[in-house]
Amino acid sequence: MSQPEIENRLLALLSDFLDAPADLALDTDFVSGLGLESVQVMEFVMEVEEAFDLAIDLDSLSTVRTLSDLAQVVAKAQGGQP
Amino acid sequence: MNQPESQSAPAAPGGLMDKFAPVAAMRAGIEATGIDPTGVVIEHMLSTTEAIVEGRPTILAGTNNYLGMTFNPACIAAGQQAMAEFGTGTTGSRMANGTFAGHTDLEAALAEFFGLPYAMVFSTGYAANLGTLAALLNPGDAVLLDGDAHASLYDGCRMSGAQIFRFKHNDPESLDKRLTRLGEQAKRALIVVEGLYSVLGDLAPLREFAEIKRKHGAWLLVDEAHSLGAYGQHGRGLYEELAIEADTDFVVGTFSKSLGAMGGFCVSPHPELKLFRYTSRPFIFTASPSPATVATVREALNQIQTRPELKHNLWRNAQHLHGGLGALGLTLGAPPSPVVAVRCTDRDQAFARWRKLLETGVYCNLMAPPASPDGSSLLRLSVSAAHTPEQIDRVIAAFAAL
Repeated sequence: MSQPEIENRLLALLSDFLDAPADLALDTDFVSGLGLESVQVMEFVMEVEEAFDLAIDLDSLSTVRTLSDLAQVVAKAQGGQP
Repeated sequence: MNQPESQSAPAAPGGLMDKFAPVAAMRAGIEATGIDPTGVVIEHMLSTTEAIVEGRPTILAGTNNYLGMTFNPACIAAGQQAMAEFGTGTTGSRMANGTFAGHTDLEAALAEFFGLPYAMVFSTGYAANLGTLAALLNPGDAVLLDGDAHASLYDGCRMSGAQIFRFKHNDPESLDKRLTRLGEQAKRALIVVEGLYSVLGDLAPLREFAEIKRKHGAWLLVDEAHSLGAYGQHGRGLYEELAIEADTDFVVGTFSKSLGAMGGFCVSPHPELKLFRYTSRPFIFTASPSPATVATVREALNQIQTRPELKHNLWRNAQHLHGGLGALGLTLGAPPSPVVAVRCTDRDQAFARWRKLLETGVYCNLMAPPASPDGSSLLRLSVSAAHTPEQIDRVIAAFAAL
């Protein structure tokens, strides 16, 4: 799956995940932009893991702030292990 | 007495202290409500289940004192004797001068209680989880951590340097998928779950987890911090109740709840546990538990084994409270257990209800995001074997008056 395809899928997943409609962009910060708690970000990541059928270890997420960051992690996980 | 505020000049922006700005804002927000659930002071203990708080007699319905062991006369006597004979503290690490006869006796008693050959005592429950996981896991290993696992389990995993994969809370399918994706690494993977979850009072599907563990050749650690003494024929925890002892590689837990003291433990059928003491930094680089503490814990284990009425009374009270609150139409977190969670519509309602309950003489725990699972705000109660039926009725009546 290409990077733009991953990004579009993530945008759709996040839109479904959020209770209320929000102006979503790839560079929207999960915490400061959307007001998500860290626990909610982790829940969203688990949704992403299910949707893409992959496992993302927590260290990979330490610098993830936006969907764009997450898309890179997903792309890497799809290419490598596990 | 409150500590005086510092008179030093405010820190310059861009410095070390900047990180505290959001914390200060959070504290100011709490203070503005006039309700501070983090600032409760127990002024005087009237009994195992009642204290003076804000000058009022208050029923303690949120202290995790599941078996009411804190004022058990035999435990107090054992602690007093140990303190008189061995002093107030050990002043040293277990690796140096901090191993007294009481520590090795307690480890032998724990092994016997759990019916397992190996046991290890830590200075706190937090240290037990940190010390067990940090010793057991290395970089290159994988850990599958339940999404709602306690911070001490998470911190232990982080400390180990292992790869951490979280799976959906209490979801065997989510665990299974992640282990499948690990492939061969699954054989070096540790599944980390709790028995009874402390906030909502829900139970882990341990049988399903054990089956998945066997399927992938992985390892299983169960934290029985809140289920020790409450579940299983011998009170060993939920893993005993659900008969998965043969699949459980490590059991960790705390002395600070049903055993009414302080400290933590790990027990295991694996002889390698004996080697943890040479590699577990949270075990090595701290002072050992005081002689009085380990003596009270040992006696508390004896009490659990010889007084089945403790567990009986705990469950009688748990059913009573759960039934009474349910009959009020409140939304509860889970089926009856020693932890009863009352869901609130939002954070403001939870804060207001918590405050009103305290003013009417009932102490419980307030849980709100980000400290609560599933983003909910709730009031958490924990039942004790030492509560009287009349006290449980008063708690229910206080909720009815909200």
